Amino acid sequence: MVIAAFGFFQACDNNLELEPFTALDASVGFKTKQDVDAALLGAYNALQNSNYFGLQLQVLPDLYADNINHTGTFPTYAQIFNRQVLADNSNIGGLWNQVYIGVNRANNVIASVPTVKDPSFNANNAIGEARLLRAFHYFNLVTLFGGSPAGFNKSGGLGVPIYTVPTLSAEDAAPKARASEEEVWKLILEDIDFAVANLLATNGNGRANKNVALALKARVHAVRNEWAQADAAATEVINSKRHTLLTGANFQNIWLSQNSTEAIWELQFDINNTNSIAFWYYPTANGGRNEFTSSNSLRDAHEAGDIRRVVNVSAAPANKTIKYTRINGTDNVLLIRLAEMHLIRAEAYANLNKTAESLAELNIIRKRAGLSDATETTSAGLINAIIKERRVEFAHEGLRWLDLRRTGRWNATGLTEDFRSRWPIPLREVQTSAGLITQNTGY
Amino acid sequence: MKKQVLVLFLWLGTMASLIAQRTVSGTITDDKKEPLIGASVLVKGTSTGTVSDVSGAFSFTIPSNSTTLIISYTGYASKEIALGASNTYNVMLEQEAIDLTDIVIVGYGTQSKKELTGSVSKVTSETIARLPVTGVDQALQGQAPGVQVTSASGTPGASVSIRVRGPSSISAGNQPLYVVDGIPINTGNYSQIGVGGQQTNALADLNPADIESIDILKDAAAASIYGSRASNGVVIITTKRGKQQKTQISLNTYYGTQEVWKTIDPLTGPEYVALLQEGVKARYGATFIPSQLGLRNLDADPSTYPSTNWFNEIFQSAPISQTDLNFSGGTDRTKFFVSGSVFDQGGVVRGSSFNRYSFRMNLDNLVTDKFKIGVSTGFSRSHNTRIQNDNNIYGVLSTALLLGSHIPVLNADGTYGRDANASIENPVANAVEPTYDVYTNRLLSNIYGELTLLEGLTFRTSFSVDYLNLRDDRFTPASHIQAAGVNGRGEQGISADLNLVNENYFSYRKAFGKLNLDALVGNSVQRSQFESLYGVGENYPGKTIRELNAASVKKDVTSSKSAWGLNSYFSRLNLNWAGKYFVSGSVRADGSSRFGANNRWGVFPSASAAWRLSEENFFPKSKLLSEVKLKASWGRRGNQDIANFASRALIAPGANYLQRAGLAPTQLGNPNLTWEEREDIDLGLEIGLFESKLQLTVDAYQGTTNQLLLNRPLVGASGFTGIQENIGSIRNKGIDIGLSTTNIETKNILWTTNFNISFFNNEILKLAGTPFAAGFASWVAEGEALGSFRGYRTVGIFQTQAEIDALDKKAKELTGRSTAVYQSTLTKPGDIQFKDINNDGVITSDDQEILGDANPNFYGGVTNNIQAYGFDLSFFFQYSIGNFVFNNTRAFSEGMNGVFGQANTVKNRWTPQNTNTTMPRAVYGDPNNNRRVSDRFVEDASYVRLKNVTLGYTFPTKILQKIKMRSARIYVTGQNLLTFTDYSGFDPEVSTFGETNTAPGTDFLTFPQSRSLLFGLNIGF
Repeated sequence: MVIAAFGFFQACDNNLELEPFTALDASVGFKTKQDVDAALLGAYNALQNSNYFGLQLQVLPDLYADNINHTGTFPTYAQIFNRQVLADNSNIGGLWNQVYIGVNRANNVIASVPTVKDPSFNANNAIGEARLLRAFHYFNLVTLFGGSPAGFNKSGGLGVPIYTVPTLSAEDAAPKARASEEEVWKLILEDIDFAVANLLATNGNGRANKNVALALKARVHAVRNEWAQADAAATEVINSKRHTLLTGANFQNIWLSQNSTEAIWELQFDINNTNSIAFWYYPTANGGRNEFTSSNSLRDAHEAGDIRRVVNVSAAPANKTIKYTRINGTDNVLLIRLAEMHLIRAEAYANLNKTAESLAELNIIRKRAGLSDATETTSAGLINAIIKERRVEFAHEGLRWLDLRRTGRWNATGLTEDFRSRWPIPLREVQTSAGLITQNTGY
Repeated sequence: MKKQVLVLFLWLGTMASLIAQRTVSGTITDDKKEPLIGASVLVKGTSTGTVSDVSGAFSFTIPSNSTTLIISYTGYASKEIALGASNTYNVMLEQEAIDLTDIVIVGYGTQSKKELTGSVSKVTSETIARLPVTGVDQALQGQAPGVQVTSASGTPGASVSIRVRGPSSISAGNQPLYVVDGIPINTGNYSQIGVGGQQTNALADLNPADIESIDILKDAAAASIYGSRASNGVVIITTKRGKQQKTQISLNTYYGTQEVWKTIDPLTGPEYVALLQEGVKARYGATFIPSQLGLRNLDADPSTYPSTNWFNEIFQSAPISQTDLNFSGGTDRTKFFVSGSVFDQGGVVRGSSFNRYSFRMNLDNLVTDKFKIGVSTGFSRSHNTRIQNDNNIYGVLSTALLLGSHIPVLNADGTYGRDANASIENPVANAVEPTYDVYTNRLLSNIYGELTLLEGLTFRTSFSVDYLNLRDDRFTPASHIQAAGVNGRGEQGISADLNLVNENYFSYRKAFGKLNLDALVGNSVQRSQFESLYGVGENYPGKTIRELNAASVKKDVTSSKSAWGLNSYFSRLNLNWAGKYFVSGSVRADGSSRFGANNRWGVFPSASAAWRLSEENFFPKSKLLSEVKLKASWGRRGNQDIANFASRALIAPGANYLQRAGLAPTQLGNPNLTWEEREDIDLGLEIGLFESKLQLTVDAYQGTTNQLLLNRPLVGASGFTGIQENIGSIRNKGIDIGLSTTNIETKNILWTTNFNISFFNNEILKLAGTPFAAGFASWVAEGEALGSFRGYRTVGIFQTQAEIDALDKKAKELTGRSTAVYQSTLTKPGDIQFKDINNDGVITSDDQEILGDANPNFYGGVTNNIQAYGFDLSFFFQYSIGNFVFNNTRAFSEGMNGVFGQANTVKNRWTPQNTNTTMPRAVYGDPNNNRRVSDRFVEDASYVRLKNVTLGYTFPTKILQKIKMRSARIYVTGQNLLTFTDYSGFDPEVSTFGETNTAPGTDFLTFPQSRSLLFGLNIGF
């Protein structure tokens, strides 16, 4: 006992100076190549949270539009489904916070890379990845919370607060007012351009590379109705020939086999790093939660013979999707795939009055879906057909609501109040900033 | 040297044996001539002694030069008998006027109640023994003024919320510090698996039957000697110790059954289906049927559906029992108490139970006349069988409420009935299929040495260990929907907490004429180290082998390690002049590893004084007014109950990607972080009337906690949602009144009453930034009480479309938006109209206000004990008045949105024919959000409860003597026999969020308290 007591007192010398066992003190920071690598992986990891592409960012927009029905128990999902979202909706609040967690992690990498003095370290590629991630985060924020009620790239459009340096102290975390929509786009495009210029052609599955940056650039310009640039970026991706469309019976393997050649950017999950997407969709008999179900209107949007119908509205389990089937949580998430490049190009040509080229691009996708060629001849008719095509092509991938909004179709699903085309800034954000972060009108 | 001492002892011993001897004998009785068994008879100034036998008789040989015998017996005044020529001495002992309840245990010492300048309440073993409770915390309910005890639920082994003089913290702990035999112990939940609001409770490891007394230090004067951990009061638990007497054997046992005292009536299956069909039509049109919505199996004629009352399937009558055997006794040099006990409690909800084995050994030995050593050691092993509960679609009771009654328990093929349209598991499957066992081993041990240095000056040192080891074993087979997708899922974890304490202090007690001095100075060093391991397995070969090693997929393996240290110095000085004037001061300095480097040490002083007016010469001596004492105190104490590394900026692992390790910042640092500081003043009055047959204590206090440890919200756009800072303040003020009376005291009858009532008022004075929501409806805002509820106000039910149209028109005018509507575009007659509190024409989240709070206006208890002719009867009422509960269960069971099982109260819903009602229409999906948080569901949950009634009979000693028994009593006890309340849920004493600070008084699918009936037996040899 005397020995035990002696040992105890030895321990007491530094009884008040204890170090955490399960975390690093941040004063250590990200200093070495290994640190920054880990921080960069951590920045990708932010996308995987259930408040982001681990569930919400693909489900909520489709739920708010017309592809998914709410068949579960959570009142916050019911609010979104009923398009009666309140500013304190916790799903939307969680999504906002998580996207900004991603921004901060990317900012940490961007700020830390220059401190690494390791010749074996490709600093510009690392910064490119982080800036591409940051651009993607701000893209998601501005398209859900910003813009104008009638769409994007119009005068007076609202943006979101912009943070470009890491938050290391309480002072850094001070609230900032919302930037204008244009300022957010400017940051996004600068980041993307840096990424395009500096990213390697390949960085391995799941990571950003040059084509990912170009594909995101195409998407950004499409949202901004800048069709020549959208066309240029999409064309560069297509012409790189690094991706191919999966056809016929192989189509389903985009999801069932994972990491197919169609993927441009596919978020990687594994058994130790899972999501709960299939769990939230799947019926209870299959061990799921049955919170989400494909809508009848999505089912009916498919033309006869469309091979995408069984993917979007599965037969067994009924009315789910085979885009998310791994109840153990290992479904990858397709962030961008080649089909979108073709449809962006189709839409660009339609908007640029190159109707024949537009039709040809559209029919690439229709043909792959097992459908006969479309025969639209007018730009307006083509755009309608493309939006309809995009609905069934990208169902459950979180693009539907953005398509409706950016093309002025926000009221196509029965929404009558135009202010609801933007989601509310989380109430907590408005309150915590004492009103500095302004709420979208109407909420 | 040693040899010489030995020779000396031998010589002295020989001398003694050479001295002439004589034999004395006699009988020792009490004032009712009943023999006192085991009374000590000692020759004064020697160690020669004996004890009386079962007939009270003694006989022993004493040196013939002995002059005096000392006769003593616990609870009786000792007597000295001068020895004369006679060899026979019959002695009658009188019950001690000052019994043990007049001594209170304060930090690092004891004081008599008369000397006390602080506010301390005592609960004795007799009170505890009467209550069939799992843990000591539950035994405190209704027993002491200023101590509010709320069981979160009826879950066996679950947490209990104790608030000493109101909640003093918002985000740090609000539970008092527990000190068991000098060990500040670890409390709380150590399980790594959350299954709902009801968590495990480390206090349940302590066997209540081993407890001699519980002293609750309530004000700063009493508690601040515990410094940075004292702001919520201190509960000092003292276990039983041996006395100098013949070994006494006590066997106490009870057995009983428990059942729910109230249930909720659900709709029948046909009624449920009819309601759903009605709701679908109300939303989509009269020809619409459920299948058009994708709802399956709901189109048929309602009368064709089965009906299951799920409550009948999951509630059960459950046994409760305890058997406790102890041996206690000792000589003048060595005393011991040894006990063992078995406690077993089934749950009234299927699938839950708690049992505990415990052992204790307390020893004291006088090594020399000036050096004493001792040990207090308790070990327990508890096994808690848990079920999922509360806000949980796999909970047993939860699903019994949430699943429609149109689903059968079992389908024709023997599989569980399930709702094809909902993810809610079958309640019986929830109770039967998964297993979740929590095993806790707990060792509490303290060794001490106490050396008398001078007369009145002692030095005491002690080493203590509190070791807790908990194992979680949970398995969900593939036959349960939660693990159907992964073919069985197991989770296992081990957590251990080692808490070591060393305390050293000098105490000095001496009288200088009329001045009595009692001084203390000491230090303590404490270190607590926590470790855990946890892993998940999936894909099992069936459900027989439930260990992780059987799983083909092993994942989510985590481990954790953490520690905190506390170094302290403390001192106290009590002075009293002639038992009239008392002053006391204490100070403690604490250094805690939890706080920022810039603010690690804190000083916690207190000062207090008392004046016993009735001791003054000018005070008229009368039998009417026998005691008057005035007290005043001031003090400061702290709260360090926050996360171990809350002050540090942290980068955490686990942000992995591509099967590679990632790092991410998780916490911003604050090097200035320090403890919360509560400052109290207390004014007290103690009055004794009719020779203290009536004793009244009144305490008025005001305590303000400043520099509250709050997570100051940051804008999420910064990448963090908050930072720990010392901002904010909260105030409690109140009056605690205790009244104890001896109503009848005759030779054969004794009737006493103990009454206490506590009024308190809590207000948040300052917060960090904006108000914030907690729980389901709770709201934390400046100027409001902690535990307030916020939501919408209902105006009534829309009876006509014209009413809605008029409001929509006004909404368009006031907002200037052509699309504006008052509530929703889908609002129809039969929906609820909510109040437009800010008069902007539309209902938004700004139209919410405070609807009530969970704090009672007053609470307390009243106990009557009657003893007459061997019978004893006690009845104990406990009450809480003016507290509200947010009944979220009703938001579901009366939600009529087409998803959940419904209560039969919805039969009174609005229909065009039934318009005079407060229950809205049934409409699928509830587009008007009738079930939003509103005053509909905030209910007055005042209650008065007959917590305990006990009727016992003690057999006369004369009869027992013949069978060599010392004592025997049989009794019957009823627990929670009656509850008077208007609350519509299962139980008004409820907390879905367990031991929560910010969201108390929320009821959501929570395991109710049970009513129990027990038979018991106490036997002594």
